[in-house]
Amino acid sequence: MTIASYSFGETLLKIENVSLEYDGRPVLTGVTAEIKDIIVPGSIIGQVVGILGPSGCGKTSLFRIIAGLNKPTSGRVTVNGSDRPVMAGEVGVVAQTYPLFEHRTVMGNLMLAATKKEKDSKIARDKVMEFLREFGLEDKFNLYPAQLSGGQRQRCAIIQQILCSEHFLLMDEPFSGLDLIMLEKTCELIAKVANMDDLNTIIVVTHDVTAACSVADHLWLMGRPPGEEGNAHEGSRIVKQYNLIDRDLCWQPGIITTSRFTDFVREVKEEFRRL
Amino acid sequence: MNHAVAVFSPNAVLNKTAVRILIASQVIIVILLWVFSPFVLLPKPGEVLGALGDLWEQGLGAELITSFLLNVQAIAVATVLSLLLAYATVMPFFRPIVALLSKLRFLSLVGLTFFFTLMARSGHELKLSLLVFSVSVFFVTGMADVINGVPKEMFDLARTLRMGEWRVVWEVIVLGQIDKVFDVLRQNAAIGWMMLTMVEGIVRSEGGVGTILLDQNHHFRLAAVFAIQLTILLLGLFQDYSIGVAKNMLCPYAALTLERKS
Repeated sequence: MTIASYSFGETLLKIENVSLEYDGRPVLTGVTAEIKDIIVPGSIIGQVVGILGPSGCGKTSLFRIIAGLNKPTSGRVTVNGSDRPVMAGEVGVVAQTYPLFEHRTVMGNLMLAATKKEKDSKIARDKVMEFLREFGLEDKFNLYPAQLSGGQRQRCAIIQQILCSEHFLLMDEPFSGLDLIMLEKTCELIAKVANMDDLNTIIVVTHDVTAACSVADHLWLMGRPPGEEGNAHEGSRIVKQYNLIDRDLCWQPGIITTSRFTDFVREVKEEFRRL
Repeated sequence: MNHAVAVFSPNAVLNKTAVRILIASQVIIVILLWVFSPFVLLPKPGEVLGALGDLWEQGLGAELITSFLLNVQAIAVATVLSLLLAYATVMPFFRPIVALLSKLRFLSLVGLTFFFTLMARSGHELKLSLLVFSVSVFFVTGMADVINGVPKEMFDLARTLRMGEWRVVWEVIVLGQIDKVFDVLRQNAAIGWMMLTMVEGIVRSEGGVGTILLDQNHHFRLAAVFAIQLTILLLGLFQDYSIGVAKNMLCPYAALTLERKS
């Protein structure tokens, strides 16, 4: 796939001048960004945005605002061109610990999500089974979450959120604590979910620079701009955005082994260190 | 690992046979200590069994049924009341009320009897209300702690699945914590037996095992006292086991993540 073969379509998610304060202390200041539909003729390509930033820079706060779980002090987040702020449930959330309802089986958990969109329980059940087959969990539908492995639990949590949300999925630190094999599998899983539908949009919040670069088409670097660390009146913002498509660094298997990918990761890390 | 070493090793997990052997040996040691105890005041097993036979002939069985039914009734009422109050803490209005009720567990039943007597219409009602009160203040404290301990991420999960706030309460607090209700019930049903003998001592209408226990204690018939205590202990163990079985049947997921399964 070449750079020239893609274009941007409608705006799917818009963060407009979002600021957040806790007890008068600024956490986020004027965060502004948007995610547009990436159109590649003849291909189904979703969007994957990586939000990178040092610990304590407000990534989780922004995450919760995008998810509709918290309200910003000012500004707003909108999805799908709506003129009202995002509401909880419109953006799927996969938390770091992959929470599921422990008192329900895998099927019970997924049916809770599926019946939000599909009232006919038979159709909803068929859709759940289709997803379970797609993600290799078809024989696990009768198990409780505590009986699943970490990877199976992660997939189950992702399916649950995809079934319920409007093509959006926020993932909090999905690469945390994973070994090399699991990290690769998680990257593959993110790409697979993103490319299931043109409108699927995955936002990965992480501090793992290499993993984020390997899976995302765009990167947002969050933090306080250099020189403002001591400025208590300023919260974090998105200080830099990278388009990995223009740099010919995404949608290519084996890209992480190339020198230009390594150079890019180094460039991002250097920027990261300055924050 | 050698079983003899394992039983004294921290966090060691034994297989079922080893656990059975351990329990059987400890029971045998307790019985031997009892039989060969040098304390002259401690009645011997034979004396206790003899006293139990005498008490049974004098109607201990009927008194046990009276007490058991009263306790079951009190626990049922206390469970419903406490759960409603604890679940009500999802609304800020009820939180100070429940917090205050929880603090009442420090009060003595003896000092409250007068007020309950004024309100009750019969001896049974008085005993029931005293028991319900004394169990509820502990039950509601336990359940409020369970609800306060629900992690934020479970509420977030429910909200991201587009549940309204009442549905969040139903899914996360009512259904999601039902296994914990059994644990709290188990503890408070045992408290019920402890309070029962006290309540039956304070209010002697209808008799009951507590009345007999106090009478025997008053006359210093230690073998009979031991016999009644042993009977209450066996009934309590049966009750505890039954609640455990009900929990395992209704909440099979509850023990899946435990290292030591009960």
